[in-house]
Amino acid sequence: MNKTLLGYVPTQSPIYMIHPFVKLFFMLIVSLFPMFVAAPEWNMLLMLILILFMWISRVDMRTLKIYVPVAVSMGSIIIISYVIIGGTHPEFQLIAHFLGINVYWERVRDAIVVYFRILPMIFTMVFFLSTSRERDVIVAMRTIRLPFVVTYVFAMALRSAGMVLEDFQIVRQAEQARGFDTAGKSPVYKLRKYVNYMIPLFALSLRRSEEFTNALVARGYAFTGEVSKVKRADYVLTHYSFKYYDAIFTALISLTFIALLILRYGYQYFSVDESVLINWLRNFFL
Amino acid sequence: MSVIIELKDYSWKYLNTQQPALDKINLQIEEGMFIGIIGPNGSGKTTLAYSMNGLIPGQYNGIKNGEVVVYGREVEQYGHGQLQKIAGMVFSDPEAQFTAMTVEDELVFGLENLGMSIPEIRERLEWVTELTGLEKMLLKPPYELSGGQKQRVALAAVLAMTPKILILDEPTTMLDPVSRRRVFDVLAKLKNEQHNTIIVIEHNLENLIPLADRMILLSNNKLILEDETHQFFQNMELLTKVGIYPPGALRFFYELKKAGYTSNTLPVTLPEASKQLKQLFG
Repeated sequence: MNKTLLGYVPTQSPIYMIHPFVKLFFMLIVSLFPMFVAAPEWNMLLMLILILFMWISRVDMRTLKIYVPVAVSMGSIIIISYVIIGGTHPEFQLIAHFLGINVYWERVRDAIVVYFRILPMIFTMVFFLSTSRERDVIVAMRTIRLPFVVTYVFAMALRSAGMVLEDFQIVRQAEQARGFDTAGKSPVYKLRKYVNYMIPLFALSLRRSEEFTNALVARGYAFTGEVSKVKRADYVLTHYSFKYYDAIFTALISLTFIALLILRYGYQYFSVDESVLINWLRNFFL
Repeated sequence: MSVIIELKDYSWKYLNTQQPALDKINLQIEEGMFIGIIGPNGSGKTTLAYSMNGLIPGQYNGIKNGEVVVYGREVEQYGHGQLQKIAGMVFSDPEAQFTAMTVEDELVFGLENLGMSIPEIRERLEWVTELTGLEKMLLKPPYELSGGQKQRVALAAVLAMTPKILILDEPTTMLDPVSRRRVFDVLAKLKNEQHNTIIVIEHNLENLIPLADRMILLSNNKLILEDETHQFFQNMELLTKVGIYPPGALRFFYELKKAGYTSNTLPVTLPEASKQLKQLFG
């Protein structure tokens, strides 16, 4: 198993045949698709395709369960903000009235459209993070010739995020060992006492920064000055080659996006008015 | 052998501190020597290591007096990154010195910084992974390895840059005895095959003594003893007075000597101790 950013993928997964750049390109472009597609059934189809890709890539599908609470809470927030506290709109069509709240068809429709736009975006990101290692992201960024310093700062950010979480656990365990524990206490209490974790964590982070800087200097690295002007060979890129099928996938993703734009703005496909699901729901509610 | 590191009346005081971290140190280190530096916590060992590597005064604010000369030049005269090519540094916390996401990236990071070509990097990588036994770990994230493996990665990352001088600041502090042994096995290989100048700050004397050509004792920010390893450990009274407790065998023979059972030179390694024991009672 290889550790990816969101879990583990078997070493034999076909996803490793794909160049990291193609995965990054897929994530960046496909996550734009829902922005041009209002009809929820098309976005649902995109989600199904993404799930199929995850299955082909041998992502452990059980891990998708952890996103159910995210999807439910996100849906609840959208419904509350659009339908419950969406305001009074006499120009909209009223479908229900309870507890002094007017429920309008247009607000329900918009909530559904927004929800099914955001979900495939999240699915695209989950697919990318489930099938990519930190190194893949760096390789993808370097393939498109981003300056080394940019990719390196990104890599350091990924690494320091993990370190801060580890340090947080150490601080928490150390404080628990001395009788300080917020388990079972109210959220207000926890928030108030959070400073007890934050101060040592901050001090630890400062120490880590010093050690990390020393390590960089000891390896002859510098962000500025003569040393930074050394022409760097990028050894990691020698492990990856952009094969003919990578070019085909990149072209396919690009062409699909162009086709989507033409269908959307040339022929008005994927609009709310064209949506089978929305029209069925309209007939149901009104 | 020629002197490659020389400290002349060297003192260093960190900003906002009352006492100097190092006070009037005079020291000469010859090429190819294996030097052990010992001393109680807070005696200035790490400051001494950082001073020889240029991290002090480069990365720290403070007041410097005297000179630290490496290969005939004051450390300040080296351009940014130049001294680090000559004097590699391994820190005590392996986790804190990782700069990349896989072991392989970690090992090649310094080589890329030196501006080496891909074939050169590949060659060095093969050499250093074989030397440190990291062949099967190249694709793993360094922070997922065991403590001993992490420290070997840190050591390999510095070794790959083939510095003439290798400075290790308490490299085995966080390791179990087996991992400590493995780190010192690598150092023994370096000493015997590569003939690097190696400077090791270490509390664990069992592993250090058999390798060290010379030993240095720091106490209260001063260099109070420096000698060839055998001679160094004849000063048991001074060592115990400053809180250094040599290995059990050495202490045992020191007690025998004090009690008048032997007048021999104290043995510093286990084979020597065993030999003397046979002479005494066999």
